Amino acid sequence: MKNRGLAFKLILFTLSGTMAVFLSAFAYFYVSSKDSMTKCVEENARNLTHSTVHQIEKVLEGVQKVPLNYASLLSARNFEAGDIAGLVERMVSTNLEIYGAAIAFEPDALAAGAYYFAPYCYRKDDGHLMNVMLGDESYHYFTMDWYQIPRELNRAAWTEPYYDEGGGNMIMATFSVPFYKGKDAEKRFQGVVTADIALHGLQQIVSAIRLYRSGYAFLISRNGVFITHPDSRLVMTNSIFSIAEVKNSSLLRRIGKDMINGGEGLAALESGLLLPDKCRLYYAPLSSIGWSLGVVIPEHELLEGVHRLGRMVILIGLAGVFLMTIIVMLIARRITRPLKDLSAATVEIARGDLDAKLPDIQRGDEIGALARSFEEMRLALKDYIKHLTETTSAKERIESELKIARNIQMSFLPRAFPPLTGKNPMEISARLEPAREIGGDLYDYSLIDDDHLFFAVGDVSDKGIPAALFMAVTKTLLKGIAETGLDPARILNRCNLELCGENDSMMFVTVFCGVLDLRTGRLKYSNAGHEPPVIVRRDAQPEFLPVPEGFLLGVEEESSYQTMEIELEPGDKLIVYTDGVTEAVNAAGEFYSHANLMATVRSCWSLSVEGIATEILGSVKLFSLGIPQADDITVLALSFAGAEV
Amino acid sequence: MELYSYKQDKFFIVKVSGRMDAITAPEFEKSCLGWIEQGDSALVVDLEGLEYMSSAGLRSILIVGKKLKSVGGSLSFSSLTPNVAHVFSISSFGSMFPVYDSLEKALGNS
Repeated sequence: MKNRGLAFKLILFTLSGTMAVFLSAFAYFYVSSKDSMTKCVEENARNLTHSTVHQIEKVLEGVQKVPLNYASLLSARNFEAGDIAGLVERMVSTNLEIYGAAIAFEPDALAAGAYYFAPYCYRKDDGHLMNVMLGDESYHYFTMDWYQIPRELNRAAWTEPYYDEGGGNMIMATFSVPFYKGKDAEKRFQGVVTADIALHGLQQIVSAIRLYRSGYAFLISRNGVFITHPDSRLVMTNSIFSIAEVKNSSLLRRIGKDMINGGEGLAALESGLLLPDKCRLYYAPLSSIGWSLGVVIPEHELLEGVHRLGRMVILIGLAGVFLMTIIVMLIARRITRPLKDLSAATVEIARGDLDAKLPDIQRGDEIGALARSFEEMRLALKDYIKHLTETTSAKERIESELKIARNIQMSFLPRAFPPLTGKNPMEISARLEPAREIGGDLYDYSLIDDDHLFFAVGDVSDKGIPAALFMAVTKTLLKGIAETGLDPARILNRCNLELCGENDSMMFVTVFCGVLDLRTGRLKYSNAGHEPPVIVRRDAQPEFLPVPEGFLLGVEEESSYQTMEIELEPGDKLIVYTDGVTEAVNAAGEFYSHANLMATVRSCWSLSVEGIATEILGSVKLFSLGIPQADDITVLALSFAGAEV
Repeated sequence: MELYSYKQDKFFIVKVSGRMDAITAPEFEKSCLGWIEQGDSALVVDLEGLEYMSSAGLRSILIVGKKLKSVGGSLSFSSLTPNVAHVFSISSFGSMFPVYDSLEKALGNS
């Protein structure tokens, strides 16, 4: 995940966000539309059931009205036996819903000797009416339901549906109304008026009810027997209870009881009871006849609309997600392609190819800004590198020149004393350590003639190239002047005059110089603002050599210098140095100082002149260890051995 | 190095403290030349707080001294610390410029 590209992450985050929103919207949509759809369907089922019940009730009431009227007519008036058949025929002919009608009398009720009297008229298939007389030994109608039930109950009643084998071979139900003679206590049962109704009419009404693909309606009688059912094999042969028995469903049994008891309600049924699938059953009673109408709605068909809609929404959603993926991919590629190009180009730049061409991204957005910044960076880097290269080469050139200059400067300085012939009355050694490549310190020594040694130590008031140039001039002057005479003060005087010239920069040099007579040990010396040397007398403590006062060289033309003299004994030593020694600084910011110098001299004065110079230099370097050297350091050591050696 | 300057009567007094070496001396030089440029030609440099003076410091003093000489001014020093007094003594600066024990004496004698 971490290493995946920007496009992948963009797609992942966008799509997972979108999917989450889409799925929750879909879930809400599904649940709520399922609810409302279910409610709507239930409402429809209820309305449908009620309207069907109403329709059937209307038919039944229309049929019921006719025998009721005739019964009250028969109770109120006396009719001749001959009139009865006419009444019956009129009942059928004037009421199309009535399939057949009869007026059946009690034995001998109408006329003595007529045990059976029940004229019956019914409608044949071709529409003609047929009049028959019911009742004989084989058809003892007094025991029939349609006769006996109203007689016993003293009220009108419907029979259970039955197969009429004699008439039209169809399922029928009969409505029977009792009629009487006399009033109140005198009241005597005379017979019944019946009206038959063929149930195929009702069956048509009920079977016309189609709900979705496999939904249907059914009618059951007071006993729970199916009067109508799409599966005609069940009609009149099975009851809702027999199905409950076969399926072993207590729920269906309970519903059946509620239905025949005139209940109304809604039930959800398991699959396989009334339909192969789960279904809902809505039922309502036909109260006038005691039947019940049931409407069965398959659940999956009920929700089919919701499911179809859901599938559609998911399809649209997926198409949307797919489309979005493509769009996001395009956007991501649009973003990442220049980034990739840029990245590739910057790799080139990072490798050092500053001429690598950056992709030309003409965009106003952040990527465009990035590309422009990169281009600016590349150009700046290129400039910088170019500048750096130039600077570096200039620096290298200067450094190499300085190195050469240092070599030249060092070669000025006497390295080893020219070997003296025969005797060696003195030893001299010097060390010079410039703070930079080249410096402003100087020392010199040379034999002016066989018996006289000239030596000098100087310090130009600066460091670096200007000081080195000034040092070179001074040293050349000193040596040149020294070779013409022997008096140190005069040497310094002349040198000062030469240096003053046009010295606007006020550069100056301090010098200590001396001329040693190698035969006698007489040392003449002079000083121009320089640190007093240390003199070490044999068998005595080292001390500073008193020096004449004299202003530094190169500034004041009127400066004058004096010469002082001392006699050196064999074994005496003189140490001349520059302030680079005493003013060397350690890490604590303290100076090396004259005291330290004296201490070092005391510890090393017995060494050779090389040893002394090296020892002092080493001591100073150790003292300022880790601190950059601030000033040039020079130490010159001279030892007088005496002429007789 | 720190510089503190003020004018008193005809004198322009410069108090220098810290170290006057190759790094700081040019600042002293530049400041003094600036003041001379503005017309102050009687400089008294009080070195009471100066711990160290290198040859670069001496050179700056020489430059300032030369400039003052050309405009007919004066340059004197006062209150030298032992270190600086040693440098003055070795380089014979004492013979080039008047040096006083205290600022009061410098102002009184100039």
